[in-house]
Amino acid sequence: MTVHTPIESRTRGIPRWALAVTGVMLLAGAVFFATNLSGSNPPIVGGSAEPSSGGPNAVSIIKAAGCQSCHGPDLAGQGPFPSLHGVKDGPVSENLQQLGTDHPEDWANLWIAGTDPAVADIDRGGMPAFGGQLSPEEIATVVEYLKTLP
Amino acid sequence: MAVNPKKLRPYDQPPKVRRPILPNEPDNAATAFLVAAIVWFVVATGIGVLWTAYQLFPDVLTIRLNMPTFSGVLTFELSPATTSSGFWNSLAYGWLGNAGLGAVFFITPRLVGRRLIGETMASAAAALWNIGLLAGLTAIYVPQLTGSGRLTEFPIPVDGVLLLALLLANVAFWRTALAPTDRIPYVSIWYFGVALLALLGLFGLATLASLEPFVKLSDVAAALVNGFYGRALETLCLSGLAIGTLYYVVPRAANNPVYSWGLAMLGWLLWLGLGTLAPLSTLVDTSVPFAITQIGNVATFLLVLPAFLVAANLLLSLSGRWTLVLSPGTIPFALVALTFLVATSLLEAIGSLGSVRALVGRTEWGVGVQLLALLGTATAAFLALADHAFPRLLRRDWGGTLLAEATLWAAFAGAGLAGLALISGGVAHGSLLAQGAPADEISGLVFWFRLVLGAGIGLSALAAAVVALNVFLMYTSARPADYAVMGDAVAAPAAH
Repeated sequence: MTVHTPIESRTRGIPRWALAVTGVMLLAGAVFFATNLSGSNPPIVGGSAEPSSGGPNAVSIIKAAGCQSCHGPDLAGQGPFPSLHGVKDGPVSENLQQLGTDHPEDWANLWIAGTDPAVADIDRGGMPAFGGQLSPEEIATVVEYLKTLP
Repeated sequence: MAVNPKKLRPYDQPPKVRRPILPNEPDNAATAFLVAAIVWFVVATGIGVLWTAYQLFPDVLTIRLNMPTFSGVLTFELSPATTSSGFWNSLAYGWLGNAGLGAVFFITPRLVGRRLIGETMASAAAALWNIGLLAGLTAIYVPQLTGSGRLTEFPIPVDGVLLLALLLANVAFWRTALAPTDRIPYVSIWYFGVALLALLGLFGLATLASLEPFVKLSDVAAALVNGFYGRALETLCLSGLAIGTLYYVVPRAANNPVYSWGLAMLGWLLWLGLGTLAPLSTLVDTSVPFAITQIGNVATFLLVLPAFLVAANLLLSLSGRWTLVLSPGTIPFALVALTFLVATSLLEAIGSLGSVRALVGRTEWGVGVQLLALLGTATAAFLALADHAFPRLLRRDWGGTLLAEATLWAAFAGAGLAGLALISGGVAHGSLLAQGAPADEISGLVFWFRLVLGAGIGLSALAAAVVALNVFLMYTSARPADYAVMGDAVAAPAAH
């Protein structure tokens, strides 16, 4: 006695409508591809992320630290998490204005590290303090990179 | 004559039966994977609720605990970043991975007509997979231990355990699927074969790419590999397991033949080719020739074709059995899965167009479509399988229709709301960015879409809780059902 009945099919061939739809779609795809070959890819995250001389790469630090999970794949911000583009022009968020005024050169480094007394009383809005995870050199590499973003 | 066991002399006592650590009973691996999947479904959607709470109120709760260890201080961190990783990993590997492997080990023996060859091996795979996931998920909350990239955050030792589990699962599947038979394997086997091989190969590739002392990829190359892996996991592995499952449960539940064998194989061939090429669309960098990325974009656009063929074939298989759509059970779940399959592929196709990419590329559109694919298509397909398989695995009937209805509607509405909230939020966000709107205005608008996302994830969490409760009630108090056991010499077709 057969233990299990196989699943049968009503027909074995391919219906004509399916062949027609497949043919038209594949043709359309081929034409689209052939007519859209001019162009170039942008950099993977914003601008160039290569380190100037050895040392860690900003992209790898940003990815390892998980910056993109909150600030978006291209760090342009998403939802309540602000854009990291324009760091070179100073802080955008209201809670960082005073910090930007007091520490115009290294406000971003202090903010990312989150361990300096200068940022102790600022509401971090969910932003982790990376001081225990990243070295000051790594934070500096990230900030230098962020300053290159438009 | 009754014997008092206390009066038995030592040599009269029956020999002790040694139970193996990994049982070898039929369907043991399928049961283990599917029960674990339900638990992970609850965990994943629970973390998902926290994930959406962080998106709405990022400053509400960020916890850091320093734990001194022999090798330094480790920091346990509950934050938006770790919660996001926890949600996606527990959803993709915990819920959908377990459910997919459970589907493979439930369906394959029933299609080839013999017991799973290597049941112990598959059970070991279930144990390793879940131990590895538990360790990996714990490690995600300790940022010093995690790797980079999306869905590739687990530490190397955890990756090793998961790879071993996938290897064992592949061996058990292929030994069963390739055993001599007089029939061409059914289309579900073809989907499962590709999905399992792709999962093993891709996971191995991603692990190798992060094996730093031995392999030194540039950071850009590593980021590209991670991106490719994340997309291929969706287009080849999870969708393959989901479609293979649908091709089994729909004809079985409808008790109808599948509409067309040729159509099924055409859809499989197109899915295999286009699903392999589509992840190339993630290789966006100056180091990659534009033509390669464009091949990926065109393949992503054309993936709508196999999705449409699969949906058409399975809907036509329901011919004469349309009343099943109105009754709670496997078919409504399968229809929801097919609806999400076509909708997701259409949205992916629209998103692959250059003008749309320019508008929504920097928004949460992509995450929304991915959420529709994982929480919509794959989740509904595996819930259809759960509805069909649990009575046959536990040999008990479902308790009632109310809980099944609640699961169906909560899962459908939850995935729909969550995905569409992010997609429409992405369009609104992209429009404001194009107009140069200030950040505050964008945040204010996106907040409302995220509120809807929270409602959607909440409904999905409700669906998970209800299906877990239903399985628990079935196991503890439902009446026994007379389903045949896989491997019985004589069994009714009800074994399917």
